[in-house]
Amino acid sequence: MSIEFIWQLPTGVSDPRGTRFNYLDYLHQVARAADLSGFDGIQIQNDPQGDESWIVAGYLARSTRHVRLLTEFDASRGSAVYAAKNAVSYQRYSRGRFAWQIGTGGSTEQRRAQGDFANDGDVIPRIEEFITVARGVLTSGSYSFKGKYFEVLNGGFKGPLSNSPVPRIYLSGNTPEAYQLSSRVADVHVFDAVSRDQLEAEIRKLEDLGTRRPHLGLRLSLVARETETEARADAAHYPGRPGLVGSYAQLATQLADYVKMGIGSFIVTAAPHLEEAYRIGEHILPAVRRLLSPSGRDAA
Amino acid sequence: MSIDIFWRIPTHGEPSSHRSRRPFRGDWFPGDDGQRQLGLAGGGDDGFTYIDYLAEIARAAEISGFQGGLLPSFPMTDEPWAISSFLARETRTFRFMIAFQPGFLNPVTAARMTASLQRATGGRTLYNIVTGGGGPAQLWWGDSVGHDDRYARTAEFLDVLRGVWNGRGSFSHRGKFFSVENAGLPETLANESFPEIYFSGSSDAALICAAKHADYYLSWLEPSAQLADKFARVKERTAQLGRRIKCAVRVDVVARATEEEAWREVSRGFENADPALVADFKGGPGSTGDSVGVARQGGLRPRTLNSYRDLIIEPNVWSGFTLLRGGQTNGIVGSYEQVAEKLDQLVQLGADAFILASTPHLEEAYRVGEEVLPLLRGRSGAAPLRAVG
Repeated sequence: MSIEFIWQLPTGVSDPRGTRFNYLDYLHQVARAADLSGFDGIQIQNDPQGDESWIVAGYLARSTRHVRLLTEFDASRGSAVYAAKNAVSYQRYSRGRFAWQIGTGGSTEQRRAQGDFANDGDVIPRIEEFITVARGVLTSGSYSFKGKYFEVLNGGFKGPLSNSPVPRIYLSGNTPEAYQLSSRVADVHVFDAVSRDQLEAEIRKLEDLGTRRPHLGLRLSLVARETETEARADAAHYPGRPGLVGSYAQLATQLADYVKMGIGSFIVTAAPHLEEAYRIGEHILPAVRRLLSPSGRDAA
Repeated sequence: MSIDIFWRIPTHGEPSSHRSRRPFRGDWFPGDDGQRQLGLAGGGDDGFTYIDYLAEIARAAEISGFQGGLLPSFPMTDEPWAISSFLARETRTFRFMIAFQPGFLNPVTAARMTASLQRATGGRTLYNIVTGGGGPAQLWWGDSVGHDDRYARTAEFLDVLRGVWNGRGSFSHRGKFFSVENAGLPETLANESFPEIYFSGSSDAALICAAKHADYYLSWLEPSAQLADKFARVKERTAQLGRRIKCAVRVDVVARATEEEAWREVSRGFENADPALVADFKGGPGSTGDSVGVARQGGLRPRTLNSYRDLIIEPNVWSGFTLLRGGQTNGIVGSYEQVAEKLDQLVQLGADAFILASTPHLEEAYRVGEEVLPLLRGRSGAAPLRAVG
């Protein structure tokens, strides 16, 4: 898998524009900004206080051309077969750009507010069943499964609905159970931004688990400016977000260093989302790609 | 009271006319769900996907005066939630009637999906709640709940959905199928309007559930007396609960300038129908599920079948549509005036809304919108209404 940069869309904002336009019109512009400025994907977060991610993904799919639609949701959303069947339409209509980031749904209290009464210990096994069943019906014409949470008999999609690519599956979490799950079923395991040393230790925990290695991803916020001084001054306005702060050249080098550690997927965010998508797309992504190309390495 | 008129979106490809299975629009292979053809026009991958054609139909429907369209969901079709969200931005007035089975979604997820789609479309979402045909198909979907229990689940789902919708973070429920604690819509979505509910199902369990929850009770076209009786029963049951319900008919039409032309279309389609399909068609229903609606239609089939005329069950009603394409089998055939008159008769029997369809859905949306809808008299029985918009 080549290196990918995924732009995180904002979420959960109320809207002052009245009825002629609404927040989704703005999201639409952010998504197009990411598409136009060279990102490989957009991440549509699952925010229980915001719009529902699958609807947003469909809404944005039609007016974007290249970006992967990394759509975050929980395995409590309903039947895995139904999710897979909907995914087939998303794949058909977006020409294979749909991807899944499956989360745990948070604390017991948060999950119950989402209609999810699974025991804490069942959340991760249910994600695994969800993925297993979805993959089964997406890749087989006659698939049966009977588990604790999901069941299907002679399932699977036929004709035009068959052979749609299984959405690439992104998982995260830093517990032993989360790493075990990822080592079995994730295509990409996404780490949260931590220090370089900590990240190395976390990567080792995941990779020590087995022969099957998911690709590695990293979620980062960025404050990128022409000079380091400007970046530091502006970063002071965004306290508490772990991430990278610096000049375009500094950030490009740091991102390339993460690639050398094995990171292949970056889920990045910066505010404001529209303008910063262009800034990072124009100033940083090409620089990182140059550094990572064979000729760029010679030059470095 | 005006009559609401919807079109249907073919979520499974479609032939370019009723007369023949080919050529076929969409990447489905005519008559064979196990195959696909590449590209929408069958000439190889052309960069388009089926949503490009569906977008054309949705726009044709809104331009020609339909309120919106039903988006059906079956094992071999694309899915309505996907279609609606993909087409939200490029339609203006088209209302998306999403067919789905409540058992397949967490009601809290469904609430947030619906409210977001309402926000994305300016309130153009409505539901066609389906409770399943039963039998092997339900297990294919991953659903093992039995027929009457499924209606109990549908009822509970709609209770919970409404509770969450109005919950403001404090709705709780412990039920047989769903539980939730301190739920509600996000603040940003809390003012979206709750979708209208069209409800399908012909069994007693279905009627009970519809009486409690539906805004519209939706039926296929059945012989007049049978349909009038069904509508009367569901209206009576609903009245007992102190509610009112409207009735809707989902029906295919073949409308032409003259009656002869309309029947010629049907006759050609009948001649070109798959002989195996025609042989199977005689006598009882063709489904192994537990759908009462399918059984009610199957019971009407003749024992001998030599001509399309053997399938005329009432003036201007032909019962062989399933030979031309999948789905329900009774449809209206006639001149523009006759089709409008038949729809008006259905209004007199108790229909308040229609979901119409004809093949091909793009051109026929214009034809029916321009030629038939303006002739409808509607509830008043007096001067024709202008197309409903």
